[in-house]
Amino acid sequence: MLGRRANRHREEPAVLASRQATVAELALRALEGMPLGELRDAAATAVACELGVEQVAVLELTHDRRGLLARAGVGLPDGVLGGVLPVEGERTDPSSLQKDLGSASSCQVSIDTRGRLSGWIEAHSRAARDFTADDEAFLRAVASVLGAAAERARQDDVMSDSEARFRELADTTPALMWMTDAEGDITFVNEGWRRFTGGTSDVGVTFATSAHPDDREEALRIWEEASARREEFRCEYRLRHAGSGDYRWVLEVGVPRFAGGEFVGYVGTATDIHERRAMEEALRESEASFRDLADTAPAMMWTTDGDGLVTFVNEGWLRFTGTTLEEELGASWQLGVHPEDADATLSTWDRAREERRSWEREYRLLHHSGEYRWIVDRGVPRYEGGRYAGYVGTAIDIHERKTMEARLLEVYQREHKIAETLQRSLLPERLPQIEGVELAARYLPGARGAAIGGDWYDVLERPDGRVALVVGDVVGHGLRAAATMGQLRNAFRAYGLVESSPSEVVARINRLVMSGVEDVMATVLYLVLDRETGELSFSAAGHPPPLVLAPDGPRFLEGGRSVPIGASDPAVFREASAVLPPGSSLLLYTDGLVERRDEPLDKRLDKLASVAGGAEGDLDGLCERVIDAVLGDGDPGDDVALLAVRPLPAVADRISLTLPAEPASLASLRRRLARFLHATGASDLEQYEITLTISEAAGNAIEHAYGPGDATYDVEVSFTRGELVATVRDHGTWRERRGEHRGRGLNIIEKLMDDVRVTPGEEGTEVTMRRRLAAVEAA
Amino acid sequence: MTSPAEVAVERRGGSVVARLSGEVDMTNASYLREQLLDSMPNDALVLVIDISACRYLDSAAIEVLFDLSRRLARRRQELRLVMPPDSPLRRVIELTEVGSAAPVHDSLDSALSQ
Repeated sequence: MLGRRANRHREEPAVLASRQATVAELALRALEGMPLGELRDAAATAVACELGVEQVAVLELTHDRRGLLARAGVGLPDGVLGGVLPVEGERTDPSSLQKDLGSASSCQVSIDTRGRLSGWIEAHSRAARDFTADDEAFLRAVASVLGAAAERARQDDVMSDSEARFRELADTTPALMWMTDAEGDITFVNEGWRRFTGGTSDVGVTFATSAHPDDREEALRIWEEASARREEFRCEYRLRHAGSGDYRWVLEVGVPRFAGGEFVGYVGTATDIHERRAMEEALRESEASFRDLADTAPAMMWTTDGDGLVTFVNEGWLRFTGTTLEEELGASWQLGVHPEDADATLSTWDRAREERRSWEREYRLLHHSGEYRWIVDRGVPRYEGGRYAGYVGTAIDIHERKTMEARLLEVYQREHKIAETLQRSLLPERLPQIEGVELAARYLPGARGAAIGGDWYDVLERPDGRVALVVGDVVGHGLRAAATMGQLRNAFRAYGLVESSPSEVVARINRLVMSGVEDVMATVLYLVLDRETGELSFSAAGHPPPLVLAPDGPRFLEGGRSVPIGASDPAVFREASAVLPPGSSLLLYTDGLVERRDEPLDKRLDKLASVAGGAEGDLDGLCERVIDAVLGDGDPGDDVALLAVRPLPAVADRISLTLPAEPASLASLRRRLARFLHATGASDLEQYEITLTISEAAGNAIEHAYGPGDATYDVEVSFTRGELVATVRDHGTWRERRGEHRGRGLNIIEKLMDDVRVTPGEEGTEVTMRRRLAAVEAA
Repeated sequence: MTSPAEVAVERRGGSVVARLSGEVDMTNASYLREQLLDSMPNDALVLVIDISACRYLDSAAIEVLFDLSRRLARRRQELRLVMPPDSPLRRVIELTEVGSAAPVHDSLDSALSQ
C-alpha cells in the first residue's frame, strides 16, 4: 500500500550525484579504451547497484538482427549469458527475458550505435516497483556510453588512432610531416622531413634553422594567427634542402588536432612545390623552355588554350593517370575527376577562366592504379606577347596528407561524442526544487568544434536555510575540463554545506585544487542568499559580477572580487554583501555570455543589463530572452551557463507538506516551518517552540510508520486570526508512549500548545495542535 | 541527511567545556552523546555544556542531557549547562526539568566559578 507513492518523489540529490558519478566513471573508462566486454560488465554491475535491482542484462542484436545476444549481466540464470534470444520483428516490449527471470517489474532502454538500434540494456526487479523518470534517465545515460564505446570499438577494428600508429604511417609516406603540441612546440617530424632538411632528432629547432630567413617571419605570423583560432592554415615558404644545399619552395598545410575534444596541437605537411614555382617563372620566358623543363620535372603539369582545352600535359601527369598525351588533350581530363568532386571542381575552373584569375582546387583524380587519389591542382593565366593565351598548371599528389586529415577528423568526432556524453552526465538535468525560490538555468555548449566546455551551475539548500548558488567555468576545453568541472561541482556541494562564508568556501576549494597534482584553473561565482530577508553575500573568483534585476532597474553587484581558483596559494578571497530588494531576481552567468573578441567587455555587460531588463516575468522566459538577445544569431564561441533565482514572497496562511517517514526529513521540515513562521510574524521564542512541537509530533509519526521503505506522513499548518493550527498525520497505528524520551516528547507537545487532540483512525493517527500567537495578537 | 551540529571541546583546569552549536535532533543526538563522553577524561571533575549557540534541541537531545548526567554521576563527575537567560530554548529546558539533573547557568564564568 505504502509503496504506491514511490514514483511521486524525485530521487534524493545524493542518489542523483552518485549516479552522475557512475556514468562519468563509465564514460572515462570508455575513453581510456577499456575493452568493450569489460565495459559492459562494469555497466551491468553499476546499474544493479545504483537501481537496487537483482538482475541486469546487456543485450546486443545479432548481425542478422533476428536474435538478441546476452552480452553481459548480473544475476542472470545459467544459460542466458552468452545465449541468443529470438527477436520477433522490431520489438519494443520488455524482452522475453522478463518471463525467464520471473521479474515483476522491468525497465528497458535501447542502445544505439551509429544512430541505429544495436541492443538493449534492461533492469529487472523481483519485487514490483515503479521505475522513476530518474531511473530511466540513468539507464539511458549508461546506454549512450555503451553505444559510443561500441562505435569506437568498431572503428578501432578498421584503424588504430594512436599517435604511435600515426608516426609509423607518417614515416612511411614520402611527404614531409610534423606535429606540434598545444603550445606550438614541434614534438615530431617524420623521416621525410628529416631527409629533406638533414635535420637531427632535435625537432624543436627544425623550422627555425631550415626555413629561409626572408620567409620565416611571414610563415610564423600565418601560423600564429591560425593557431589562436585553432584553424587550418596554409603558407608557402622556402625550406633548405640538405642534399643540394638550396632552398626549395614548399606548401605547408597545418590542421589542428584534438584528443577527447581538446585541442592538443597541429599536424602539418609540407609539399615540395619548387618545380611548380620554377615552371611558372620559366613560362614567363617561353613556352618551349617550359615544355623542356616540364618533362624532366617530377610534378604534374599542363597547359590549356584560351578556351580552357588542354594542349599539353607532361610526363609526370601521364605517369599518374597511365594515359597517353593524345587521350588527355581537350576536355577529357574532366572524366577522371571523382564524381563527388566534379561539380565544384569544374564550376570553379570555369568561373576562374571567365575572370582570368588563378585557380586552385583540391580534388580526387583517377590514378592509373584504378583508385582515386587526392591532388591539389593550380592554374594561372598565361599571356603571349601581352595577349591571353590560356592557362598553365601544376598538380601535386597530396593523397597521404588528405588521408591523414580524414583520419584525424574521424578520431576527433568519436572522442567528441564520448566527451559530450560525459559533460551531459555531469550537469544537473534539472534544478532541485527549493521551497520559497523560483529557479531557472540554461547550459549552451559552445559551437566551436572542439568546445566541450567546463562550465557548470548548481544550487543547494544549506542547513541554515539559506540557498547557495554557484556558476563556474573551468579553464580549457575537452574531456579533462568536463571531468574537472564534475569534481569542482562536488567540492562546492560539500564545502557549501559546512562553510557559511562564501569567501571561506572559495578559499577551501582553492586549497584543495592547489594541493592536487593536475593544473586546474577555474573562475567561480559563489553566492549565498537568505530567501526571507534578501540578504546575500558572494565571492567572485576571477568571475564577472552577478546581475540584480530590481523593480527599479538592473545593476551589477560590485566587490567581492579575487583571483581565479587555482591561480595562487595562498590567495586572498574577498566577499561582498548586498540586500536584494523585494521582488528582485538575480542572474548568474559565465563569461561565454559576455566575452567576445569583437566587443569590449563593458559594452557586453551593458547589453546584458539592458536586455535582462526589469524584475517582471518568469525566469525561464528571462533566460531565453537573455540568450537570444545577447548571443544574437551567432552561436556562442564558448560554452555558456546561466542561472536565475528569485525569492518568492512567503505565504503566511497555509502550508501543506508530505514527507518521507524517516528521521532525516525532520531537518527539512524545520526549514519549511521556519519560513512559514517567519512570515506569520511569530517571535523567536514562538518560532522555536512551535517548530519543536510539530517536529515532536512528526517524530512520533515517523516511529509509527511501519513497513517497507516508502512510507510518508503529512503536515499541515494554517494561521488565521492570530491562531496557529498544526496537524500531523501518519499512516500507521498509534502506539502508546514508548520509553522516557517519547514520553518527554508528548509532554513537550502538551505543555507548549494551547490545545492538543489525538485522533486514532483506520488509516493512521492525526494529531491536531493549536496555539495563539502572543506577539501577533499584540500587534 | 543528519542535522548539522558541531561541538568544540576545551579543557579548563578541572573542567571540560563543550560548546555546542547547530541543531540537535533524533538524527544526531546519540552520536553527540558518544562524542561528549569520549571527550571527558577520568581526571576531569565537571563537564560544562554551553548551549548558547544552539539553534535547536528536541526531546531526543534533552534525553541525552539526562542520560549524560546519570552516566557522569556514576563516574563521580558532574554535568552543568550554560544557557543565556534570553535563549528561546529556555522554556523547554525548564518544562522538562533538565535543571534537576544538571544545574543551568547564565554564563560560562558562572558555571566554571562554582
